[in-house]
Amino acid sequence: MTQFAGFDGPQGEPQHDPSGAQQAEPAGRPYRAQRRTALRVLVPAAVVAVAAAGVAVVPALASEGNPTLPQQTAEQLVTKVLSDRTQALSGTVQVSTDLGIPSEALAMLGHGGLGQAVTGQAAAAGGAGQARQGADAAQADPQAKLTELLAGQHTLRVSVDGPDKQRIALLDNLSEYDLIHNGDQGWAYDSTGNQVLHLAGKPGAPQHRDGAPGLPGLPGTPGAQDLTTPQQAAQRFLADSAKSSDVSVSGTGSVAGRSVYQLQVRPKQSGSTIAAVQISVDSATGTPLAVKVTTTSGATALDVHFATVSFAKPDAATFDFTPPKGAKVTEQQDAAGQAKRAEPARPEQPGAGSRKVIGEDWNTVVSFALPKDGAAGAAKPAPGRPAGLPDALGMVKSLGKPVAGGTLISTKVLNVLITDDGRVYAGAVTPTVLQNAAGVK
Amino acid sequence: MSQVEAVGPSRPQTVAAGPRRGTPAGFLALFLSELGLTFRRMRTIALLGVLALVPILIGVVVKIETGDTNGRGGGPAFIAQVTQNGVFLAFTALVVSLPVFLPMTVGVVAGDSVAGEATSGTLRYLLVAPAGRTRLLAAKFAAAMAFCVAATLAVALSALLIGSILFPLGQVTLLSGDTISLGSALLRVVLICAVVALSLAGLVAIGLFVSTLTGSGIAAMATTVGLVIIVQVLDSFPQLHAVQPWLFTHHWLSFADLLRKPMYWDQVWQNLGLQALYVAVFGSAAWARFTSRDITA
Repeated sequence: MTQFAGFDGPQGEPQHDPSGAQQAEPAGRPYRAQRRTALRVLVPAAVVAVAAAGVAVVPALASEGNPTLPQQTAEQLVTKVLSDRTQALSGTVQVSTDLGIPSEALAMLGHGGLGQAVTGQAAAAGGAGQARQGADAAQADPQAKLTELLAGQHTLRVSVDGPDKQRIALLDNLSEYDLIHNGDQGWAYDSTGNQVLHLAGKPGAPQHRDGAPGLPGLPGTPGAQDLTTPQQAAQRFLADSAKSSDVSVSGTGSVAGRSVYQLQVRPKQSGSTIAAVQISVDSATGTPLAVKVTTTSGATALDVHFATVSFAKPDAATFDFTPPKGAKVTEQQDAAGQAKRAEPARPEQPGAGSRKVIGEDWNTVVSFALPKDGAAGAAKPAPGRPAGLPDALGMVKSLGKPVAGGTLISTKVLNVLITDDGRVYAGAVTPTVLQNAAGVK
Repeated sequence: MSQVEAVGPSRPQTVAAGPRRGTPAGFLALFLSELGLTFRRMRTIALLGVLALVPILIGVVVKIETGDTNGRGGGPAFIAQVTQNGVFLAFTALVVSLPVFLPMTVGVVAGDSVAGEATSGTLRYLLVAPAGRTRLLAAKFAAAMAFCVAATLAVALSALLIGSILFPLGQVTLLSGDTISLGSALLRVVLICAVVALSLAGLVAIGLFVSTLTGSGIAAMATTVGLVIIVQVLDSFPQLHAVQPWLFTHHWLSFADLLRKPMYWDQVWQNLGLQALYVAVFGSAAWARFTSRDITA
């Protein structure tokens, strides 16, 4: 009989054998390694099974609790949201955007941003966007940074204390981008290049009536701004679309451990690519805690929700900011200066006169004529416009698929039609609506 | 095993040398012996030396290229901070060495721990000693974890040393733009070293498991290091988005979240929880294999 050294005794027996040798196996009974292996393999298998069960069950338990709340009509709920007087709030926000192409979310939530988003898209696809990014890189520019929010998954840390104090931190891998508004001081800090943008002397930022964050340095980007907290996104949405939409309370749920009412907004007209917007409203305070946009194809285009939230007043030191040692500080006088500087950053934007809005509400289509080099009557090229733009447009066109009347670039939410005669029609609508708007068939 | 005990409690200790097995002291003796075995090897010293070279290399390169530091996104992480404060060299060095160098050395140590003994023919003698296989495995795991700590410290201490020579020290700017004192920055270095060492626990368990499967030390090391590379490749495919949070390398760099103010622990806890899961799964697999295996070498 071979002796196998070092085996522990059978399970459950006290293991106090000082000799540690093999006496546990009775002499004469062959040691069978395979049987032992078969039994012991069950242990890791059980661990895997328990882990898998835990993974499956824990989120279910967490999201379980469709809490029973008093019945509320949609109107009551909307009122609750609009009368939300939350002054202080802090928490972590998860933003998950899946639009296909960045910078479109601007268009989705802020109708005003449509044209800009379209041209931004064209520029980005043509490589001009990269040049723009490079030009702004030295400035800790909030505009460029917040555009990053519009694709992929991001974590934001939000702290709000009344209308005068807000801080939003965009937590990236190995880096962070902070926007701080404290009274008449506005700061943007980019840890990647250790750069600071300072905006002083003017509160500047448009204040939401309930004290929701209105950060300085973000003129003309209501979309990006509204994205930053579920609170803002939902309030803007409710105000904008009450007339054209079916607003209903679709049930209850739980967000960040708080019980919420789910407010569902659906377009009344057909033709929109957006199927529904679901807003989760805190049952106690009326603060929107989550916004979810689903498309007609069933995909989730946008999911903004608080992962953790607290309505306690944040520590006052949160809103103090002094530029760190060695940081490159860019001073900016006021919001107007910021806007002026931002202007050449978006040279592709056509003049406001050439932009037309067709249709309304959900089926809004924005159209404008593409600037043509050497075209009669076209405004002289905006300063700083990349020379390669026509080629870039050619490339963009090649990305789309040809349809009757032009080229269609189609994403989950936004559709863009570039007609053969050089006009662009864009909207969160089906291609047919775009073609109707363009008058082509 | 209980036969000896059945003889009666009055029977004197048969093994006079060394503490009784089964007691904490007995395990400690076993662990210390494993620790000595690991750290007395020239190979281990050489691995730690190579790890200590990484920050020196980064520090010198950054110092030479210091004129052009505001390149966005170029170069290793925290490059802008390193030129302002030498302490950040420790974080940069950890970010650079965590994906490749640290797991490679850990793979060598963990992969070789059982298989290496089998290769050199010492495993069976080890098992004749009054130590059960389970306890031996636990001691080997603990020794490999001790190496993880040593490897992390080798990187961090060397980085702090070279950083203090090449760059100014003083108040440290966190990722959120807040400034903390040098003392609390060093505390964060210690905390981050602990988190980094613990994030290698899953890999140690995998290496130990692989090591029990084969009698060839080289094969076990190569498999373990290869697994690290494969997993990191998988982690880079956007199509595997659903699986990626479960890859043991996925949250490795989350230790940088401790450089924010206030610290952001979510990802760090996820990372540590995942490592604990890997230790449970592969640790028990290694146990199942090792305690029931025929030791022939």
